[in-house]
Amino acid sequence: MIEARQVSVSIGSKRIVSDVDFTVRPGELAAIVGPNGSGKTTFLKALTGELAYTGDVSLNGRNAVSLKPWEAAGIRAVLPQSTALSFPFTVREIVKLGVTSGRSGVLRGEDGRLPERALARVDLEGFAGRYYQELSGGEQQRVQLARVLCQVWAPVLDGQARYLFLDEPVSSLDIKHQLIIMNIARDFARRGGGVVAILHDLNLTAMYADQICVMHRGRLAAAGSPQEVLSDDLIEKVFGCRLRVGAVPAANVPFVLPQSAAA
Amino acid sequence: MVDETIAGVAGVNQGDRYVSGDRSGRALFVIGALTVALVVTALVSLTWGASDASALGLVGNWLFGAVPGQEALSARDSIIVYDIRLPRVILGMLVGAALAVSGAVMQGLFRNPLADPGLVGVSAGAGLGAVSVIVLGGTFLAPFTALLGSYALPLAAFAGGLVTTIILYNVATRQGRTSIATMLLAGIALGAMAIALTGILVYMADDRQLRDLTFWQLGSLAGATWLKIAAAGPIIALALAATPFMAKGLNALALGEATASHLGVPVQRLKYVAIVAVSAAIGASVAVSGGIGFIGIVVPHLLRLAIGPDNRYLLPASALLGACLLLLADAVSRTIVAPAELPIGIVTAAVGGPFFLWILLRKRGIVDL
Repeated sequence: MIEARQVSVSIGSKRIVSDVDFTVRPGELAAIVGPNGSGKTTFLKALTGELAYTGDVSLNGRNAVSLKPWEAAGIRAVLPQSTALSFPFTVREIVKLGVTSGRSGVLRGEDGRLPERALARVDLEGFAGRYYQELSGGEQQRVQLARVLCQVWAPVLDGQARYLFLDEPVSSLDIKHQLIIMNIARDFARRGGGVVAILHDLNLTAMYADQICVMHRGRLAAAGSPQEVLSDDLIEKVFGCRLRVGAVPAANVPFVLPQSAAA
Repeated sequence: MVDETIAGVAGVNQGDRYVSGDRSGRALFVIGALTVALVVTALVSLTWGASDASALGLVGNWLFGAVPGQEALSARDSIIVYDIRLPRVILGMLVGAALAVSGAVMQGLFRNPLADPGLVGVSAGAGLGAVSVIVLGGTFLAPFTALLGSYALPLAAFAGGLVTTIILYNVATRQGRTSIATMLLAGIALGAMAIALTGILVYMADDRQLRDLTFWQLGSLAGATWLKIAAAGPIIALALAATPFMAKGLNALALGEATASHLGVPVQRLKYVAIVAVSAAIGASVAVSGGIGFIGIVVPHLLRLAIGPDNRYLLPASALLGACLLLLADAVSRTIVAPAELPIGIVTAAVGGPFFLWILLRKRGIVDL
């Protein structure tokens, strides 16, 4: 279980995140939504130990501050928004970093082909020999996800749930790959892990999240199931624009929702 | 299916199974080939020179004592080989390995293929430390030199390199991001300051000290002695021995400091260890051979083209190729104007300068100033 109590983050003299309480249980996919600059990424960076914070964060009952870097790497993996690379690594070499750094949880001997399996999952079969720097932004994003998956391949290891922290995992992806990636995340949760994802697409959020946390000006504006949280009033208050949940456009305007995807 | 020619696919055959994108087999092959090349180069270097002591006789002498039917080494040959050439070859290998590995580690640390101890002022800082001991060793720094003996010179150079690297890192890195422009410009500034201070010391030096100082300006392996090896060797060996433990961390660091830390790398500790190791290796090298440039940038770059940037292979391969290239450069410097000798720094700069320009032209956009 991930538990955050009264987490606040200040950068310089500016307070970016104030008093956020947040809990993710194993088996859950929690989505963090909110307008730009509302503190989503900053809060995620506090959860992953990248930024200093006040308050308490614990992973599986252990205070996150007390975890050594290599211990934390065996419990959770983190996907950043984008990753620029300074040297010409191949895709396989990047993904392999996940295998050698975390604890994949697969048997020794099976982990040799883990990069290929992870790449196949993110729909990048045959990309192993390509140079990372030559890929498109969306492809790079999926390579990083494959690396992150290798780090915590088994959602549960030694009876302990493990966690994925995903910062806008689908932001640069086409709709097909958005669905593929969200299915991977949901599957990770269904098999006993926990997922925290920052998302912008409210439809995808409603479709996949077990729990939605809405951030607004550094505070938690609402938290709960999609049914509880997504309301006309909340969206207007947080995003500052009038939208109606569940409204269908006029008959002659085409619209495409991810919910209509064939399973 | 990926078009292999267009995509620039890299991979190796592992047994009968081709693993696309895995260059570890190729890297191991290159490391093996470089090991053989280094042994051959070292043996040839031992026999290369005015005396005609043959490599065969030499190896025979080592392995079996005097070989029947072949003359044992004459006393004169023996002195030339053991007291002049052998120290020079060993020192050349140590310094070459130290320069190349320092370059590779520094490039990994700064996440930039242009970071080179010679280029960003670290060698100049180390030179300042060493010149301080030479000039002030009898007066101002007398207690220091009396305490440390022959280690005073390499340790002072180490201190100079360390201070420069720490300043450089703190100036060029903000919130985990190293600005390339700031790094290069700060390196120029630090190098200029170190050279100015060195100049003041040289101005203060007496004639005997000036003779000691001449090789600093250009870099040379001439005057290699067992004493110098005893002073610099352990420091360089220690620094080189530390690098395998950094390889995995430096690989993760290529993805950025935050991601490296999420992958379980203790980033701060890695940075400290890397900075100390680089400063030690550069300091010891500069102390015994002066400023030999470009090895640290050329060697890792060539090897990245051949085996990729994985530091687990890049670091040992850099040590081998660096040692090899410096022995070759030394052979050139000894023979090109024989019987006189060209400082080796001139040879490495004459070859390394154009090579550096070629890197810039070939990979346009590598320096996003």
